[in-house]
Amino acid sequence: MSAATPGELDARILAAIGAYELGDAAFLALARDLFSYQIANVAPYAAFARAAGFSAARLPARVEDIPAVPAAAFKEARLAAFPAHETDVWFETSGTTGGRGGRHELPTTVLYEAALVASFDRMLLADGARLRYLNLVPDPRERPHSSLGFMMGVVARERGDGADGWYLRGDALDVDGFLRGVADARASGVAVCVATTAFALVGLLDALAERGATIALPDGSRIMETGGFKGRSRVVERSALYADASVRLGVPVSSIVAEYGMTELSSQYYDAPDSRARVEPRVKVAPPWLRAVVVDGDGRPLPAGVVGAVRHVDLANRGSVIAIDTEDLGALVDASTGAQQAGLVLLGREQGAELRGCSLDAETLLARRG
Amino acid sequence: MRAPLLTRCSRAVADASEPGALRAIPATRIIGFIADAAQRWCDADFAPRVRATAAIEARLGYTTPVVDYALDRLFSGITRDALEAATSSELGSVAALDGVVERRGAPAAWARGVDRVVVVSSDTTVGVAIAPAVFALCAKCDVVVKDRSDALVAAFFSSLAQEHPAFAHAAQARAWHGGDDPDEDELLARADTVVAFGRDETLRTIRARCGVDARFIPFGHRASIGRLTRAEAEQLDDALAERIARDALLYDGEGCLSLHALFVHSDAARHGAASAGDETLAHVARVLAGACERVAVEFPGGSRAPGRAAQVGAYRSLATFRAAGGRGGVLRGGDATLVVDPPRDEPPPFLPRVLPLIAVPSDDAVAAYAAEQRLPVQALGVVAPDARAAALAERIGAVRVAPFGAMQDPPVAGHHGGAPRIAHFVRWIDRE
Repeated sequence: MSAATPGELDARILAAIGAYELGDAAFLALARDLFSYQIANVAPYAAFARAAGFSAARLPARVEDIPAVPAAAFKEARLAAFPAHETDVWFETSGTTGGRGGRHELPTTVLYEAALVASFDRMLLADGARLRYLNLVPDPRERPHSSLGFMMGVVARERGDGADGWYLRGDALDVDGFLRGVADARASGVAVCVATTAFALVGLLDALAERGATIALPDGSRIMETGGFKGRSRVVERSALYADASVRLGVPVSSIVAEYGMTELSSQYYDAPDSRARVEPRVKVAPPWLRAVVVDGDGRPLPAGVVGAVRHVDLANRGSVIAIDTEDLGALVDASTGAQQAGLVLLGREQGAELRGCSLDAETLLARRG
Repeated sequence: MRAPLLTRCSRAVADASEPGALRAIPATRIIGFIADAAQRWCDADFAPRVRATAAIEARLGYTTPVVDYALDRLFSGITRDALEAATSSELGSVAALDGVVERRGAPAAWARGVDRVVVVSSDTTVGVAIAPAVFALCAKCDVVVKDRSDALVAAFFSSLAQEHPAFAHAAQARAWHGGDDPDEDELLARADTVVAFGRDETLRTIRARCGVDARFIPFGHRASIGRLTRAEAEQLDDALAERIARDALLYDGEGCLSLHALFVHSDAARHGAASAGDETLAHVARVLAGACERVAVEFPGGSRAPGRAAQVGAYRSLATFRAAGGRGGVLRGGDATLVVDPPRDEPPPFLPRVLPLIAVPSDDAVAAYAAEQRLPVQALGVVAPDARAAALAERIGAVRVAPFGAMQDPPVAGHHGGAPRIAHFVRWIDRE
């Protein structure tokens, strides 16, 4: 049997995105076809899959069996199913391993844009609001290889009112510009979406606190928070962050929505609407073409309710690799665990977890190097 | 539950009211009491040890054979001979602890123990605080040790008190609350010598709470490495491999004396050949994987937090990805992972039961790696602790050269961390 063509695969993925529905059997069938395509066209992935015992002649029987590359593999090799000269856009992965960066290359942004807009519509814009986007994330015109900046650029273009603002310059926040943006929105009677990394939100709240200021975002406004505190020296508990943001920005906690994504993926998770009344724990839900598998240290899938490392199977990653392993910790939840909403509860990376013994650890070594 | 402030303050006053309980006892007798107590702890059926073993297992998640091994090595090393040897080598004689002694070519002097010693171990290493506490007691100091929840130190101090009641006053183990506890502030502020084990930020915090004149003896986190010469690598047999595996696997590789990376001299590395074709390295990896499997039966791995398991899984997966691309290899031996020829621009992973094997053309490359990665090396494991090994240890900043199989079994009379054992606990009084 010959592998499906990129066009055929894209059409099937786009159909799933358009329908926002993909049953288990259809997911597995599409995943197997994508796997076949990718091992035929991504040589490093094919070699990795072979080492795990899979090939075109032996396809994974379950979604959980699909060989998942570690996210750091993007720093080791070009994981793309197309020639380099066909790369349309690439996103730069963070350099958390050995200081090296990596690239997630896309031959086209069609899938990426369709996937992100479809999820954003349902998770942030379920009320159909047309918002103004005030962004505390990288401006895609300045940092075209930031996946987060690209994402919000697309959202602002497709769903915004045309007056979006960008207030992050490198690591510096333009607080005055942001406040002017809020004032303009209020004057225009337009609700806003503040798209921000957790760290930038802390910076904004600190700046407001220094000024003794609180502001009231226009009614119907919301905040999309993402990114955590990876690589940052200061970490703020999410519950404290949301409580402060709610007070200082004048939005209910339930209007603060966490997005969880990775540069190496093409799709995103969001806080399930039903879990937004509280801050912790919130349940992350994936769109139908993205699935989370929680695995143990040997890569074996764990049942719901058991904490392990999160693996993503993202069918929108047609041009690279659909299965990615992370070091993020989480647990799947469903009715069997007493959860009202099935999904993924994220626990981060156990930052600051107690180490046993007196051995040096990588974190300390890096800190000593400055 | 914490005691009310008034009670805790009263206790501190009471403790302070009976200082120097060991002063009147000759040092040789103190050493004898300590050695006798340690001897009782060498018996695996000794009731306090049985209780401590269970508590340590519950706290750390290590398996019974590992905890038993740790306690065996800890207490079997605390002998009269070892304590006297360390004391004599550093102070000239044990008698110097009792009063002024003549010294050839130097003023007669008394190695008078300081009054108050505090030992703080923020680490979870089994019994790490006991060795400095023992030497401070030999110096007749009053010692307060921050104890862990397993109360190992408290239990050993109880055994000392059974040997002689003066230890009940001189040797105290306390639960430690950390943070802004005024008791702790007072203890640290009044201590003459503070010994602290822990991560960098912990040591900085403790140091800041010490008196300006206090001696602060920090033991930060460090790493240990091993080296096989080409001939040793080619002749690697099961016995030697098991000794190496034991150094790597004991305490899940989480001690500063655990083997964190093994450097292997090879001709292929000298000629820049790809690791996949390095027969010496492949032989070492193969034999060592078998040894790890056997050692893992003797010393099963402990429980792992999900985060650590995820880190191990990610590192192994990345190594597998590299190997699939022809760069290095990954072997499993029991619950251990051997990563062959990882990238040279990365430090060792410092993950439980994960050992990188790195082919190098010579000791120069070992030294270059340690320098480039800025590795604070504690011990160098070798087959033969000869002059060549000592020279390498000097170059990489190691403070100990040990034969494989003994890396995690340091002699009590040795210089842990490159520091004296007892000299920090005395104030010399010269009589000219």
